[in-house]
Amino acid sequence: MKNFVKNNALSLFFLAAFLLSLVGQSFAGNADANQQRLAEGGAPLSWVSYVTSSDFTADVAENWQSEYLQFLLFILATVWLVQRGSTESKKPGEEGGESDAEQKTGRYAESGSPAWAAAAGWRRSLYGNSLGLVMGAVFLLSWLGQSVSGQASYNAQQLAQLEDPVSWGEYVVSADFWNRTLQNWQSEFLAVLSMVVLSVYLRQRGSTQSKPVGAAHDTTGVEG
Amino acid sequence: MNSRAISLALMSLVAILTGCSSAERETAEQAATRFYGAVHDRQGEQACSLLAPSAAEGLSTGGQRCANAILDLELPGGQPVDTAVWGDEAQVRLSRDTVFLHRFPQGWLVRGAGCTARGELPYRCEVTT
Repeated sequence: MKNFVKNNALSLFFLAAFLLSLVGQSFAGNADANQQRLAEGGAPLSWVSYVTSSDFTADVAENWQSEYLQFLLFILATVWLVQRGSTESKKPGEEGGESDAEQKTGRYAESGSPAWAAAAGWRRSLYGNSLGLVMGAVFLLSWLGQSVSGQASYNAQQLAQLEDPVSWGEYVVSADFWNRTLQNWQSEFLAVLSMVVLSVYLRQRGSTQSKPVGAAHDTTGVEG
Repeated sequence: MNSRAISLALMSLVAILTGCSSAERETAEQAATRFYGAVHDRQGEQACSLLAPSAAEGLSTGGQRCANAILDLELPGGQPVDTAVWGDEAQVRLSRDTVFLHRFPQGWLVRGAGCTARGELPYRCEVTT
């Protein structure tokens, strides 16, 4: 048990942080929604009703989609684009999908390599892109979830304000949908930009996300 | 899993995500019908008991009682044509009127009646919260 915790501490830390934040969001969101409902002459919602409501689902999904989009683009962009001096980048000249020998696939697979890395055809291609594919699928599903629950949440608000509800097609081209979407995307892209550029010049001793403190600024693709 | 099961699962997911079902539309429509039935039968007290508290208060201004004020409005009503339910809010379109309702713990209550559309602007309602 002690070894399990030690060996998986990073995952466990972020799992706990995720769950605590989600629970915190549910209570804060419920209180905020109830203030608005009372102001509009409505009745307050219980916590259980709130966490199963479209309001909560839309708020959660819109953040999830942007996070998974951020990682999807980061995963794909770093195949082809480099940033000299950044820990988040390959060295200039290494752009692209790289050779089987560099990627340890096909006949270059080693004894500990995953089985599909050694396999031929679609299995090797699928496994070779599995991280991007799963991140992309979660992004699309979250974005779809945001659109469906966002429409429900938006329409409830429309009716509360004595306005007509809109169809799903109208909602996905609405200002509300794109405002919710783009306000999340811009912050994610800024965070990635900051990490790529700041890791050239700044250090965090002992972190995998930083170069060794004494490494030169133009050293690329080296982690501490 | 066959395509019918997948369709059913997707419809259930959408219903869960949107909180929308035909049973909810029916109960909202019944509440609107009861309200207009009371207005039509000149049962002012009964009609006011089917209003959201803030809507009833809005009619009780200037010394006038809600039960009298609601009948003075001569709300047109009509047959239900279309009903939309989103979360705890509903809109029932009648042949000569549009009504907005909110779901309270005791059931659906009218928060807007005698409403006319104004394009992009909110409906203008004779009864409102």
